[in-house]
Amino acid sequence: MPDVVIPIGPHHPALKEPVNFRIIADGEKIVRLELNLSYNHRGIEKAAEQRNFTRVLPLLERVCGICSHSHATAFAKGVEEIMGLEIPPRARYIRTIIAELERMHSHLLWLGVAAHEIGFDTLFMWVWRDREAVMDTLEEMSGNRVHYNMNEIGGVRCDLTPGQIEAALSRLPPLEERIKKYLDMVSSHETLLIRFRGVGRMTREEALQYGAVGPTARASGVDYDARRDDPYLVYGEIPWNVVTDTSGDVYGRTRVRIGELWESSQIVRYCLEHLPEGPIRADAPKNAPKGEILSRYEAPRGELVHFIRTNGTDKAERLDIRTPTLANWTSVAKCLVGHSIADIPVIVAAIDPCLSCTSRMVVVNKERGSGAAAAPCGCIVRQRPAARDRRET
Amino acid sequence: MSDPLQTLAEIFIFPGFLFLVAFALFMAFLDRKIAARMQQRIGPPLFQPLADVVKMLGKEVIDPDGADIRLYDIIPLIAFAAVMTAFLYIPVTGYSPFAFTGDLVVVLYLLAIPAPSLFLLGWLSRNIFSTVGGIRAITQLFIYEVPFFLALLSPAIMAGSWSISAIVSWQQQNLWFIFFQPIGFIVALVGLQAKLERAPFDIPEAETEIIAGPWTELTGRRLALMNLTFSIALVAGSALIAALFLGGPVLPWTLAPAWLNPVAGMGLFLAKTLAVLMLLSSIRVATGRIRIDQLTDIGWKYIAGAAVVQVGIVLVINWLWVVP
Amino acid sequence: MTGAVTPEMVVEQMKQFGTAARVRNDRFSMQIAPDRLHDAVRTAQALLRFDRLLTISTADTGENFELLYHLIGPHRIILSLSLLLPRGQPSIPTISDLLPPAAIYERQIHDLFGIRFDGHPGLSRLMLNEDWPENEYPLRKDWKPDPGRFYGGIKEGGS
Repeated sequence: MPDVVIPIGPHHPALKEPVNFRIIADGEKIVRLELNLSYNHRGIEKAAEQRNFTRVLPLLERVCGICSHSHATAFAKGVEEIMGLEIPPRARYIRTIIAELERMHSHLLWLGVAAHEIGFDTLFMWVWRDREAVMDTLEEMSGNRVHYNMNEIGGVRCDLTPGQIEAALSRLPPLEERIKKYLDMVSSHETLLIRFRGVGRMTREEALQYGAVGPTARASGVDYDARRDDPYLVYGEIPWNVVTDTSGDVYGRTRVRIGELWESSQIVRYCLEHLPEGPIRADAPKNAPKGEILSRYEAPRGELVHFIRTNGTDKAERLDIRTPTLANWTSVAKCLVGHSIADIPVIVAAIDPCLSCTSRMVVVNKERGSGAAAAPCGCIVRQRPAARDRRET
Repeated sequence: MSDPLQTLAEIFIFPGFLFLVAFALFMAFLDRKIAARMQQRIGPPLFQPLADVVKMLGKEVIDPDGADIRLYDIIPLIAFAAVMTAFLYIPVTGYSPFAFTGDLVVVLYLLAIPAPSLFLLGWLSRNIFSTVGGIRAITQLFIYEVPFFLALLSPAIMAGSWSISAIVSWQQQNLWFIFFQPIGFIVALVGLQAKLERAPFDIPEAETEIIAGPWTELTGRRLALMNLTFSIALVAGSALIAALFLGGPVLPWTLAPAWLNPVAGMGLFLAKTLAVLMLLSSIRVATGRIRIDQLTDIGWKYIAGAAVVQVGIVLVINWLWVVP
Repeated sequence: MTGAVTPEMVVEQMKQFGTAARVRNDRFSMQIAPDRLHDAVRTAQALLRFDRLLTISTADTGENFELLYHLIGPHRIILSLSLLLPRGQPSIPTISDLLPPAAIYERQIHDLFGIRFDGHPGLSRLMLNEDWPENEYPLRKDWKPDPGRFYGGIKEGGS
């Protein structure tokens, strides 16, 4: 068969969010890949320059549905550092709990999606059922299954009651058992092994060269984790491990993510059991002094970098977001060459792509009054004016 | 020689087309329900497959640009007719009213028609996803069809006849073939799963890779017909394996009131066919999809090898029995 | 480079390009001239083991565009190289030959700011839809969406 162009996306069953890449294939072997990421572009960076800090946080949460807390926390901790504000320990612990719960729900989602990509729907159904336990916990704590809105400049918005802590702790043991079972299953199930092993292999040098981040890089033995390299929240004070693997293929990434699931459940348990008493919020000044900061955060998909520059007013002068998925696209493009068409969904899913993070912009429609922002996963949501004003204190 | 009205009733009502379609819809429901329960879900209600067929028949039919519409309409009909006819020779309550020597070969031939028809539909759709899917369907056909035929011909060799009903009556006097040819049974199951394009062999229809392969451009009544074709192929294939390996719908002795025999036969038919369905559903639920190049590997190394070994064993046994 | 890289070595080696000010316990920031960027990155990579590009941040300071290249290495020290580009002539050589991940960041910046990267393998549209009009760079401070203009995509009220 001569070279054919196979368009993957923007509508495709393998993709959870719209992206377009054109695969140029020779028979079943891929020769080249061309990328176009414009479908979820919503203009959040520009919108963030026009809102004060209180109003920016909900906007940043909506960069992505699955890593919403990551963006809000990265921004909040960056601004707090510029202001020189020390947030109370209880707030730091609560932020960590929510962050690790978010990592768990994201990795569980990923595992189900990866199983679905290879047609293994049974694992998909089982994993997503277990994910509901994490979502229930998050809903009890924050009121929402996604977009938890827990962060404020200076602390967290709401406290954890003893009832919620107990309920969360009671949900952990069955979940931990299932995680162990999934690790077993991934290591021994024939179809999983033959579809994941050897696919999308990246050596350590290639991972460094192409700038891969997060579990994608850690599976190739690159030992970068922003939680350990640049400790924030409570990661410097509690015991936990960085999970790496040496195989560098999709199987390695699966093992790393399941390992991180385990670590996250241990961190959540530790934080819930050792939650310090005290206030949950420190008084934050309205304006931030002039400064700039590079705030790094380990999102479920990798290292998230917020570059914030302030100029003495209550708005950020510039917010520049580097999302982990954008960093990982180069490695996908290089990994795909030489594999067959059947491996495309597997390799793309292995970096856990979050297109909403990658392309985050919109054009504000002046006529309608409110901005029509594309929420994560491409659905259109209207910002109610009342909600915006409610955040002003 | 038999009453033409009775023949027509046998073709169209029982054990012919009406019964076949109803049973196919029931088997489709059972398949989905079993799979759902294994996946900790609830699953569809009893009439869901019927509702699906009726709904799809009423949907708009979209013709792909530049496709040959007459062929596009005829091919699903041909596939549908082929699998329906194949079922006529499979025993349902005793022996098939249309049995004749060689009907096993006819049934195998008719059951082999849906896969090339998918390939043709994929080719005619003028769509890159359909073309890739169609090519995968034909590649898969070459890989599983030879072992499948060999596995199903082994009982014929041992029973000494090419008629399904004669093979069933051989098992009535001796043992079920599954005890003589376990390898053949397994190869036949695997071959049937590949023929029906169910996981782990749903490569032509890989949803996450090529949208829906050759099914992408099928809409409305064409999609309803092709879906029904594959449901009926599931019934025909399961019933065939039940007849050839599990003894078919006959008891080893005749029952006292003569009318009880077909009833018992019907019960056995249901039980055995559904047992084969349980096995097929379990395979579907417990595995993911493999790649076409991995299927080529596994197919020619292990499945074809096992089938050839099985035929070899049968030939040796036959020679040993006949000679002394 | 054998041996561990200490912050003092960073200051020492990069002295030829400018002064590295320590803005945080693990981060250095220095201003360099745009035409020395390529050499600075090459020096940092070769002598100080800065083998990863964290990101390329941009800011619009009114009369200039500011680009910040954040490099990091296994020693966990971050070096931010900042440079100013004149607004009328925003172009700079690419560093994607030294650090391949830079290619996608530069593509994004070109799409949104209009800064040209000479020698880049392919500066096509990445973030904006393919029928976005030319010469409209949304992230510049002086850009406002014009209600009368059509920015590509789907028209209001159906096509």
